Amino acid sequence: MTDLFSITYRPVLAVICPAIVALLILFSGKRPNLRESWTLLGSAGLFYIVLSMTPVVLGHGPIQFSWFTLFPNIDFAFKADALGLIFATTSSCLWILVSIYSIGYMRSLKEHAQTRYFFSFALALLGAIGIALSSNLVTMFIFYEILTISTYPLVAHEESPEAIAAGHKYLAYLLTGGIFFLIGILMTYFLVGTTDFNNLGILKPALSSTSKLTLYLIFFCFLLGFAKAAWMPIHSWLPTAMVAPTPVSALLHAVAVVKAGVFGIIRIVCHIYGIELMQALGLGLVLASIAAFTIIVANFYAIGQNNLKRLLAYSTINQLSFIILGVALLSPMAVTGAMLHIPFHGFMKITLFLCAGAIAAITGIKTISEMAGLGRVMPVTFGAFLIGAFGMAGAPPLAGFISKWHVALGAVESGYLFFLVIIFAGSILDVIYFFPVIRTTFFGKVPAAQTYETDLEEKVALYAENKSSIENQQALYLFMIVPLAITAIFSIVLCIFPNAFNIYELAQMAVKNTFGGM
Amino acid sequence: MSNQLPAIIVVLPLVVSFFIFFSGWWVKRAGYPLAVGALIGCVLLSIGILKTVISDGTIHYWLGGWEPPWGIEYRVDHFNAIMLVLISGLSLLVALYSNKLVERELPGKSALFWSLFILLITGLLGICITGDLFNLFVMLEVASLTGYALIAIGEKRALYASFRYVVIGTMGASFYLLGVGYLYITTGSLNMANLSELLPQLYQSKSILAGFTFILIGLSIKMALFPLHGWLPDAYTYAPSAVSAAVAPLMTKVMAYVIIRIMFTVFKADFPIAMIRVTDIMVWFGTLAILFGAVMALSQTDYKRMLSYVIVAEIGYIIGGIGVANPTAIKGAVFHIVNDAMMMACLFLVAGLVMYRTNGHRIADFKGLFRDMPFTAVIFTVGALAVIGVPPTCGFFSKWYLLLGGIEARQWGFVAALLVSTLISVALFFRIFDKGLYTHAHDNGPDDKGAADNPQAGDAPLSMLLPAFALALAILLVGIYNQVIVNQVIRFAVPGGL
Repeated sequence: MTDLFSITYRPVLAVICPAIVALLILFSGKRPNLRESWTLLGSAGLFYIVLSMTPVVLGHGPIQFSWFTLFPNIDFAFKADALGLIFATTSSCLWILVSIYSIGYMRSLKEHAQTRYFFSFALALLGAIGIALSSNLVTMFIFYEILTISTYPLVAHEESPEAIAAGHKYLAYLLTGGIFFLIGILMTYFLVGTTDFNNLGILKPALSSTSKLTLYLIFFCFLLGFAKAAWMPIHSWLPTAMVAPTPVSALLHAVAVVKAGVFGIIRIVCHIYGIELMQALGLGLVLASIAAFTIIVANFYAIGQNNLKRLLAYSTINQLSFIILGVALLSPMAVTGAMLHIPFHGFMKITLFLCAGAIAAITGIKTISEMAGLGRVMPVTFGAFLIGAFGMAGAPPLAGFISKWHVALGAVESGYLFFLVIIFAGSILDVIYFFPVIRTTFFGKVPAAQTYETDLEEKVALYAENKSSIENQQALYLFMIVPLAITAIFSIVLCIFPNAFNIYELAQMAVKNTFGGM
Repeated sequence: MSNQLPAIIVVLPLVVSFFIFFSGWWVKRAGYPLAVGALIGCVLLSIGILKTVISDGTIHYWLGGWEPPWGIEYRVDHFNAIMLVLISGLSLLVALYSNKLVERELPGKSALFWSLFILLITGLLGICITGDLFNLFVMLEVASLTGYALIAIGEKRALYASFRYVVIGTMGASFYLLGVGYLYITTGSLNMANLSELLPQLYQSKSILAGFTFILIGLSIKMALFPLHGWLPDAYTYAPSAVSAAVAPLMTKVMAYVIIRIMFTVFKADFPIAMIRVTDIMVWFGTLAILFGAVMALSQTDYKRMLSYVIVAEIGYIIGGIGVANPTAIKGAVFHIVNDAMMMACLFLVAGLVMYRTNGHRIADFKGLFRDMPFTAVIFTVGALAVIGVPPTCGFFSKWYLLLGGIEARQWGFVAALLVSTLISVALFFRIFDKGLYTHAHDNGPDDKGAADNPQAGDAPLSMLLPAFALALAILLVGIYNQVIVNQVIRFAVPGGL
């Protein structure tokens, strides 16, 4: 038994943990309290397993474990390296908080099919952790597909025609992307006979046997394959998928799913192509241009939004491309920034989504224009929202500042000053589209005389007059308020101590390995 | 004893089949236990044969001690052996599963049914084990005739469908026989191994070419290669669920096996590839079949009919893989024969399960599947994901080899068709998932509590679920342990000289 818990098995344990949780959830569907305890226990266990790998990786390098052979030269294998651990830490840590939040959200809205919901959620986490810890492209592909398929019932959870249509769009984009990913993998395997991630890239030898054009095409196959990264113009599944329940949007469409896409791109750039080959092919500039385009355009889209979740969706698109931009600049500083932005943006964006969800669950309001004055009755929620919003813009002392600072430094380092302008413009636009939300909610006046359609709205108005909080109305609401407060606090803590959970050291290590002696 | 295995595996079901027929006069219910007993015997024998082949190499068995090329030779190499395991294993599962269905759909005639069923399996096993072209024809007719009869038992329109199948199927068999006749006239031999030694000197002969063509066309009709597939959708849609679950996955795959045998064992690889370049044509027919099958499947409202067209597309995969004709692609094609048989059987078993509950096999009958029949839903999910080709189900792995082979041979059309059909199958099956997940058969409102999510009542009986469940598990396990199977068996099934 002790052998089973030895460090080499940890990556497998991390992957198996959510799988077991998913099964337990399925079998205890009739007893909601037991079912939710499995989720909580599992998420805590997963977080512990992931954290326990960090010191080993920092001290002795990656933990590798090969399970069985899939194809000649391709194993079903895991490798917990620095980059993977950043993503795994983020996902597993936030899973705990979102699980707590989900309980409050789902129960206070009396949602249907909660077993299916929690089951799919655990499976999605399985996918995300698997992507983070897989050691070659095929293993990653397997988990990538698991992630896509398991999130489909979550997106279409509401079962309304609109939700199902959104689910279809989601599948159409992501599975088509998956096909391109598969082509990329097959071509890579065909050219170099392996798909293992390597710190210096594996495709370099192919340059002698094939044309540059092929390598360009493969790169675009991979890019299309990572449709989960929602770069423009293949982003439109993300705003549509916002019909999902908010905890889903929060964890999956701010952290697990979209970050899986970005994470994949980082893997491709750093560990399949390698920095040298990227520079030789000039692909960095191409990728950076796509990212820059997305940053600016997504911001403009966000400015006009009245639906809070859609606004957050476009904000996500822009921040994801910011990560891509960081990688595309191919300088150590920028790549560090990009890697840091994965957890940092995760914490900040999840705060925003959790706020949006709490508002919707407690008051039933989803559009910004109706939120006038809400900031005064839901002080904690909107306080957290404020933190998240400024974090997006990269204002100190919030986590976003650290990562944006690094990417900006990287832009200077690599000599592309144009992208420095993009970074600043993006940050300013971030403030611009969040400004209306903050102004309306804190300084907007509650419409005075009004016939209330639901007693919830009445309650809002009532408490607005009394100037007291409605957040602690029901004990169930605390399940929502507490997690979002925690993520908000983390958004600050991560700026002051960027090395919480060893994230900063991990990023530095990943960058040092990738750039070798450079 | 052990060196008699190849004969016993055919003789045992043959004898049992007649025994069931006559015992049916005295004991009405004797059919099922006898059939299952025979099939268990077949499974054990086939596994024994496979083990022997893996450890000792090809088995040669002379029927009645007559020396080839005069006597009939049973020649079992890795490829036959895995086919034998596949056929007997699948038919055992289907038989176990069918008992309840047969009692329900064919009351009083169960002895007849089981007799025919076992005879069908005899035929299929015989086709795969024999090393003699004419013996193959005989076994082909045994399997086909019982197949016609079994299909005709089905729904109202089955009789018509079966008759159509009889006419077209007989044509196919005649073409095959004609082709064999040409080869026999020219060489004077019917033994596959002997033919492959005699033929190379005669490759320039026009009658050999004619013989080869006739055989190929005859088999293409039998395996429903587009555009010769017309008989298939009706026949498999209206057949009884127990029959379609056995015939649909096995018949076409066995024909694919025969094609590979003829092309690469009877003829040497350079004849079809380099000399008459038939493989180039096969790639294109395969590509067309894939696209046609996928698109037609998409436009069906009947689940079994949709599966029939999926089979047409899957046949395209296999033929295309043979046509690409490099070791990787053939490996993929052979592996896909195995995988496709399993996933199609799994999905047809689901059809039977759903039909048991709803008395229909339209896609609309799948509504509320995940709530009302959770176990069926799980089995269906595994089968569907395998057809789509989602790892870690086995469908992904054969598709991988086919794609890789296509890329190596620069057959971009074929590669594109494979990928497009993957996307189409996504649409195909997610349409059913939607029905199963979001349309509720008896809607008790959207706001029932989470606690009432899983009423486990209403699923099909356990005797039907377990075999289907075993098959779903096998799909996953074959996927996960694919390297073992590929390295131990399928690698050797790839013909030399490519």
